[in-house]
Amino acid sequence: MTALWRKHSVHGITFFLLLPSLLCFFGLFFYPMLLTVILSFRPEGQELGWTLENYTRFLSDADGRWVILLTFILSLASTALSVLLSVPLALTLREKVRGHRLYRLMVLVPLVIPGLIGALGLLLFWGSRGWFNLFVLQFVPGVTTPLRINYTIQGLIFFYVWLYFPYTCVTTMSALESLDPGIEEAGAVAGANRWQVLRHIVLPLITPGILAGSVLTFMAAFGAFSVPLIAGGDYRPLAVEIYKQISIPIPARWSAASAIAMVMGVLQVAFLAVYMRIARRAGGNAGGVR
Amino acid sequence: MRMRSWATTAFLVMVGVALVAPVPVTAGMPTELVVADSMSGANFQTYWQKTVIPAVKQVLGVNLRYLVTSDAEQIQKTKAWRPGQGDFHILFAKSIATWVKSGVPLETLNTTNVPNSAKILPEFLKSDEGVDLQGKALLYWRTSYALIHNSQYVKNPPKSWHEFYDRRAEFKGHIGLIRPDAKSSSAWRQRLVFLHAFLKDKMTLPIEQLEKDAAFQDAWNKLKDFTKYAKAPLASEPVNLFEDFNSGDTHIALYAQDYSLWSARQGTMPPTIRATYPEEGADEIGTGYFAVPANIPPEYKEVAFKVLNYLLSDDQQIRLITTMWQYPGTEITDQVPPIAWEMVPKLDVLTKTAIPRDRIRKDMIDYIKGHAKELLP
Repeated sequence: MTALWRKHSVHGITFFLLLPSLLCFFGLFFYPMLLTVILSFRPEGQELGWTLENYTRFLSDADGRWVILLTFILSLASTALSVLLSVPLALTLREKVRGHRLYRLMVLVPLVIPGLIGALGLLLFWGSRGWFNLFVLQFVPGVTTPLRINYTIQGLIFFYVWLYFPYTCVTTMSALESLDPGIEEAGAVAGANRWQVLRHIVLPLITPGILAGSVLTFMAAFGAFSVPLIAGGDYRPLAVEIYKQISIPIPARWSAASAIAMVMGVLQVAFLAVYMRIARRAGGNAGGVR
Repeated sequence: MRMRSWATTAFLVMVGVALVAPVPVTAGMPTELVVADSMSGANFQTYWQKTVIPAVKQVLGVNLRYLVTSDAEQIQKTKAWRPGQGDFHILFAKSIATWVKSGVPLETLNTTNVPNSAKILPEFLKSDEGVDLQGKALLYWRTSYALIHNSQYVKNPPKSWHEFYDRRAEFKGHIGLIRPDAKSSSAWRQRLVFLHAFLKDKMTLPIEQLEKDAAFQDAWNKLKDFTKYAKAPLASEPVNLFEDFNSGDTHIALYAQDYSLWSARQGTMPPTIRATYPEEGADEIGTGYFAVPANIPPEYKEVAFKVLNYLLSDDQQIRLITTMWQYPGTEITDQVPPIAWEMVPKLDVLTKTAIPRDRIRKDMIDYIKGHAKELLP
């Protein structure tokens, strides 16, 4: 009897301790998500009834499909470029070069600046009369007209990279720093040159860190809003499309916006599942090397 | 000896405080009021905080707490007033019309409690947005959109929309248009004003009838064609339009006169920005009003009246145009320094060209938003 009472009491305490997080989960995540799902199946402006029209209209529209494709292009390109930028940077900063602490701090700058402010700063810097173009026009021979960077898809990818590469860079740096130097020394002792050590030992071992960072970069880029809103010009990905549905038409098209949000969520989760699977495999291969 | 030096010091401090401290309104009166602003953008908020509040403090000894708020929130709060929720309000014409219509308790304002209100044209005290204001509001300022142009590039700005359309090739790639699906009201305002210039009186026709009218179809096609001459891509929001002006890509655009010229002074727009009005009109006349809740304590009311009277004084009203590029609410145009008219057209130009409010139609705005795709180049 006493044992039974004790068991119940332990369960009660566990439940009591879990209660705040459960309430947070239901209140801040589950309930709003449920509302969004329900709304996405409601006919526009109605509180009753069910329809698939919000989904079919968006997915059957050429513009809708272009928005999805654009979102993927922007996220994948910026993630790939972030990785390409992060790995050499992390390898350089690992060497504790002069002023490496300042460089590390600078890597974090895009994370602490609000996206909107960052986007405005980039627009000013890369604009036709921004510092970049002033420099190019003054010092680069043969360039007589300002280079067009703002409001182009390449420019937008570049802005994404600037804002989101710290995720990849920080996790890569962290993976590099947790690497046992003895492993690299062992490789060198075995006769491998620096490139071989990097190619066959270091890179495979830090791959899980790079992939973890790239997932974060991809997710941030996929959901990017303020940067494409301000700096995207005609390139307006999913998050901006959702905003457009609720901010421009009167009355706001909440059901259409919810359906696009659901499409965005599903695509994000599906892509993440595939990505994580690849990442696990890559991690496994790295383990094999180890 | 020490006692005497203390007494001297205390006396000097008291004299100093008496000289430096502003004169209080009246003994026993509140020295702090809350001004609730549901209307202003960044320009006016800065103006109030940097210029108006210190001036009121210095001249009247009243501390103004400036509360940036929303109209819907203030309607509820004013109906059940409590201290700190707004002792007087700054409101758009649409808002004051809604407040009066929905029976928000507001004090009647007249020349007895606010003597400077005598300088406001009676027509602006009588009605706005088609609603009888019942003496519940005082006009603070007037403003409008205008053809904002960078005088460095545009030496001879178009005098009418017809001329602007005819000369569109001259401005190709440099006309600033906000995307028709942007959040900013300039998204539809730019198009509506253009259409009005070609339709004029026909703008009063019901939308179904208007849509079928040959003149409308012609104006709509002209608008689509005009869009092709705009700077591409179209500005996502006003901030992009401003950046396009700064980069020299945009030379001319229809936008809010006050905000553009204020921005030029702040350094966020080129200093060579000027404003002009096309003869078919650039906008309705935007109006800003003061209102005082009827249910605030009488001693608060009295101080609020004094503050409003000061804000309608010539000094404060002239500052509106010389600092904010907004036209005074009171009729003191003759006192405005002539240099101001080098930057903005005179008020009578604005009043002559302004588009009547009933033509800034909600159904037309919805039509423009609904057909936004057609208006992208």
